[in-house]
Parts: sequence; structure tokens; C-alpha cells
Amino acid sequence: MLIDKGYTKVRPLAGGLDGWIDAGFPVEDVA
Amino acid sequence: MADGFSATPDPRPPNSRYHAHLVTHLVHYVLVYGISLIFINVLLEQLGAPVPAVPALIVAGALSRDGKMSSTNILLAAIAASLIADYMWFLLGRRYGYRILRTLCRISLSPDSCVRDTEARFERWGLKSLLIAKFIPGFSTVAPPLAGASGRTTFAFVIYDGIGALIWAGASVAAGRAFHHAIDRLLAALENLGGWALVVIGLLLLVLIAVKWAQRIHFLKQLRLARIEPHELKAMLDRGEFPVVIDVRTPGARKHNPRSIPNAILVHMDDVATQLGDVAPHAEVVLYCT
Repeated sequence: MLIDKGYTKVRPLAGGLDGWIDAGFPVEDVA
Repeated sequence: MADGFSATPDPRPPNSRYHAHLVTHLVHYVLVYGISLIFINVLLEQLGAPVPAVPALIVAGALSRDGKMSSTNILLAAIAASLIADYMWFLLGRRYGYRILRTLCRISLSPDSCVRDTEARFERWGLKSLLIAKFIPGFSTVAPPLAGASGRTTFAFVIYDGIGALIWAGASVAAGRAFHHAIDRLLAALENLGGWALVVIGLLLLVLIAVKWAQRIHFLKQLRLARIEPHELKAMLDRGEFPVVIDVRTPGARKHNPRSIPNAILVHMDDVATQLGDVAPHAEVVLYCT
């Protein structure tokens, strides 16, 4: 969808949010 | 001849007669153990194995029309197997939450059914989605753990899932009963093909699985090439490059885990293109879901 809109550098995050958390990186609370 | 056997010699060569005999035996076993086979077939399919149960249910429906099987027993076996497998997934969803969905998507032969799509579908329809889940490839196995992960009660799950199984198995059996003449002719043709019938069916099944695996491997390869690893994203943020990070999780998933990557933009996937109106097209965009 984004690529169709002209965005050329679109990448999904491997492992999603769980992968990010599992790696020990910081998160913030969703308001 | 008073014994009821025909005296007309079988014109087929001995090898072909042997294979036809084999298929006749196979049909005989299907009739004798039909209900157990239906149960096992549905159970395996609902557990996630690539063994479609609808063809077996249709054939069983045709046999029930001919009085060779009981349609009530077919439906009971299909519903029981379906409920057992789905309840196992429901419990796993309840225990492991949304993580079980990622495991399922990894082993699934339907790469098009990603976690986000199934989440969105389930959130839109709730437990009612279980009524038609089995008609949607990929969604069938993912919907029960999703129901468990989203905290639905066991009673409500069993009711909706049971009715869904009844609709799905009932439709297949009804189709078999409606087209029983055509299916009888097909079974007769398979019997005439002898051993080749088994070869053809086996080859068709192998081709189906091979095509699904090839699609899956291609999909995963594309995904691997395109994905960004968490440590790569962290390094970009530390370097001050600040890519546009977008949280495309559904509201339900955010409620389940109310955290996000710092400074991520929270949008629904359907609105993501409009929400990025002021972001330059050459900007680095990172999307994430659960």
C-alpha cells in the first residue's frame, strides 16, 4: 500500500513488537 | 450359476485386476472405517496438517445419500474432531497469547493469512467469525487461538465453534448428497483406473503440498530480504537517523500489550497511507505489528 503511494524504503520489523521487547530495547506506554 | 458370481471372464490383464481389487478393498475400508477416517481427517486438518477434509466430507455425503453411511454420524464425527482440535488451539491461545499466532503463521501453508489480517477480521466480527472461519483458508486454524488470546469464555467459544463446525461439515455433506450421482460416477471411474487411481490421488496431493510449500518459501524469502532486524532499527535510532516507525497493530492487540516503540506512530493499517501525507517518499519507514 505504501509502496504504491511512492514510498520506496518500507520494511517490516522482524519479530514485531515482541521481537523488539525480547531484544531488551526500550518501549513506552501507549496513551 | 446359482452362487451369484458372474461367469464372464474379466478382460483386464492380471496386474490391472489386482490393482482394481486393491481399490475395491480401499473403498470397502472407507465404508467400514469411514466415520473414524472422517474424524481423523478433520482432526488433522484442524490441527494444521495439510490434509483437506472437505473432499472426504463430500464423498461421505454422497455415500450417505446412497445409504452406505449415516449422515448424522458423519456430522457428529466432524464436529467432535473439529471441537477437540479447535479447543486445543483455544487453550494454547489463552496460555501463550498472541505469540501462538506467529508460530501458527510460521508453520501455516497459507502465507497470505498473516497475524494482522486475522486479528483485524476477528476484531471486526468477534466470536461470530467462528461461524464462517472454516470457509476461509488460513483463518480456520488461526481463529480459535485468537479467541483464546483475546480472553473469550470457554462456553461462548464452544457454542460458536460448534455451530461453525456444523455449518461447515453440513454444507460439505449436503453438497455430497446433492451431487451424489456425479460422485458415484467419479468413484466408479477411480475403481476402473485401479492402482493408477491411488497414484493420481497421491500425485495430486503431493503437487498441492509442493505448490503451497513453494509459495511459502518464496513469501518467507521475500520477507527476509525486506525485513529490518530489531538491532538494526535500534542502531539507526541511536545514530539519530530517526526512521518513521509505525505501529500497525489492531486496537485489540494494543489493549493486550499497551506498549510501543518510542515515538512510533499508532495508526490502523487501512489509514497508514493517508496518515503519512507529510512524510517524504524517500523516508525510511519501519512497520511493526504484534
